[in-house]
Amino acid sequence: MRRLLAPRTLFIGLGLACLLAVWLSLALGPVNLPLADTWRAGLRLLGVPLSGEGLGQAELILGQIRLPRTLLGLAVGAVLALSGVAMQGLFRNPLADPGLVGVASGAALGAAVAIVGGSWLGGIDEAFAPYLLSVCALLGGLGVTALVYRLGRRDGQTSVATMLLAGIALTALASSAVGLFTYLADDATLRTLTFWNLGSLNGASYQRLWPLLLVTGGVALWLPRRAQALNALLLGESEARHLGVDVEGLKRELVFCTALGVGAAVAAAGLIGFIGLVVPHLVRLLAGPDHRVVLPASLLAGGTLLLFADLIARLALAPAELPIGIVTAFIGAPFFLFLLIRGRG
Amino acid sequence: MMRKSLTLVSLCAGLAFSSLALAQELPQRWVSAGGALSEWISALGGEAHLVGVDTTSQHPQTLKALPSIGYQRQLSAEGILSLRPDVLVGTDEMGPPPVLAQVRSAGVRVELFSSEPGLAAVDDNLKRLGSLLGAEQQAARLAGDYRQQIDALTASIKSAQVKQAAPGVLLLVGHAGGKPLLAGQGTSGDWLLKQAGARNLADHQGYKPLSLEALTALDPDVLVVSDRALGGEAAVQALLKENPGLAGSRAVREQHVITLDPTLLVGGLGPRLPAALERLAQAFYPAGQVSLAR
Repeated sequence: MRRLLAPRTLFIGLGLACLLAVWLSLALGPVNLPLADTWRAGLRLLGVPLSGEGLGQAELILGQIRLPRTLLGLAVGAVLALSGVAMQGLFRNPLADPGLVGVASGAALGAAVAIVGGSWLGGIDEAFAPYLLSVCALLGGLGVTALVYRLGRRDGQTSVATMLLAGIALTALASSAVGLFTYLADDATLRTLTFWNLGSLNGASYQRLWPLLLVTGGVALWLPRRAQALNALLLGESEARHLGVDVEGLKRELVFCTALGVGAAVAAAGLIGFIGLVVPHLVRLLAGPDHRVVLPASLLAGGTLLLFADLIARLALAPAELPIGIVTAFIGAPFFLFLLIRGRG
Repeated sequence: MMRKSLTLVSLCAGLAFSSLALAQELPQRWVSAGGALSEWISALGGEAHLVGVDTTSQHPQTLKALPSIGYQRQLSAEGILSLRPDVLVGTDEMGPPPVLAQVRSAGVRVELFSSEPGLAAVDDNLKRLGSLLGAEQQAARLAGDYRQQIDALTASIKSAQVKQAAPGVLLLVGHAGGKPLLAGQGTSGDWLLKQAGARNLADHQGYKPLSLEALTALDPDVLVVSDRALGGEAAVQALLKENPGLAGSRAVREQHVITLDPTLLVGGLGPRLPAALERLAQAFYPAGQVSLAR
């Protein structure tokens, strides 16, 4: 595969793009804050003792609305892109995406159970109600993935092909169960379900953010350590084994990281498609297939792309808001096609 | 003489100031997320206070010119704050909850109203909207008229039922005639049908896809069609075109098909409801003298 950019150039470019995305995400929104106020409020939030006169509104918007939202976007984008790399490495197939091992459909099923079932139960404990959806989505994703992994195992060996097929079958099964819940849902829960399936970074709060930041941090630290092993796996399973890679252990780690990462992301922000499939591709098209570059570059690119998509989501129809899942595909797909055509020519 | 007029002037100024101060305490910039609520605010003369509405606020037509804050269940905190509102009003369907919490913490009053179908909810909502707008008397009058009209209609339906049994009715909700849904028990459509003196023949819960065979078996006396894309006769024609099997049913053969504005089915009871109920009831009891007037 031809390489368009040296890794150094790529990392500098992505780093700058990411900083720009973070800055824009903090500075722009439907509420028009003067630039000076944004700076002063930001410095005050960092603990710099400045006079806070007339900054109440700016501090609130920056600290309680835009900052958690930006962090959520970065974490979700990063962990989805990393999981995409892990899945494409595991299946040695560029069409693989984190949905393949059933984590997305499992999470959707968990969410449907929470949204539809929650409205039947009615009086759930006040303190627990806001977390029901996230917890059910996470459990659904982990559960279905564990089942896919279990089905792929035989005599201590994990067959990737069996896992792939089991993933497809369980995804179909979970989708039909979601369909059943959709049928049983009333108007109100149906709308909630539809919007959840499109994803959103709206209403991010710190309580929901911390678990995801922890998981993302863990995955982001762990996966790059396995970059060499993933490179070896590109050659084939037996070749990797001969090169001294513990292939079974690697598979287990990749599936676990994906299930946990995507499960946490989906629990926090709903289903956001496209990032996990296409960001690793974009990076490989730009910098070649070496996982030592692809993993950290995908992390940066995933977070950056999601932040830019979120900017469009919140500004395009302000004061209303677009679901972000619509935007990611809308800006990402043409860009991806452009790179494909360019790479061919 | 001079002193007297001075006292008078200062008295007048004091009065004017105090009424001004009272006006200051009422919220001036309103954002409304709820179709029926926006209609009531307009009916109470508060339309000038509205600076943003959600996508379910379709009546009166002038509201469509206002900035849209999106769908009532999927609001954006910063979007709402950018309109600098003093108060956000919405039904209990408004959300998501974290966004409402963010709006509240920015110092915006968030007022939740009931979207239950029923006169008690209308009374209560009007009373609270009236006091928020400083139009208590008008609100009380509207609520009284509303109750009176509905009561009169119920009474006239009762007397019409002496001569004619309550008709069996089905309510179809569709989009340009395609794949209509049948309004079952517990829906707002069901409440409307019953309030207009009909028996809802659909005994399932919620809105479910229609099966032509089931419809034929239920054999309704009247079909009510509520179309989100088309109005009036066009809605009925589109429904028959998309579902040719309907043409054989008794209600269609006898031309007992009436249309209903779909915006009446969401977001609680609004001011246009009594007139719509009267139209439905007159179609259900063509021979009886049903009306809103006593």
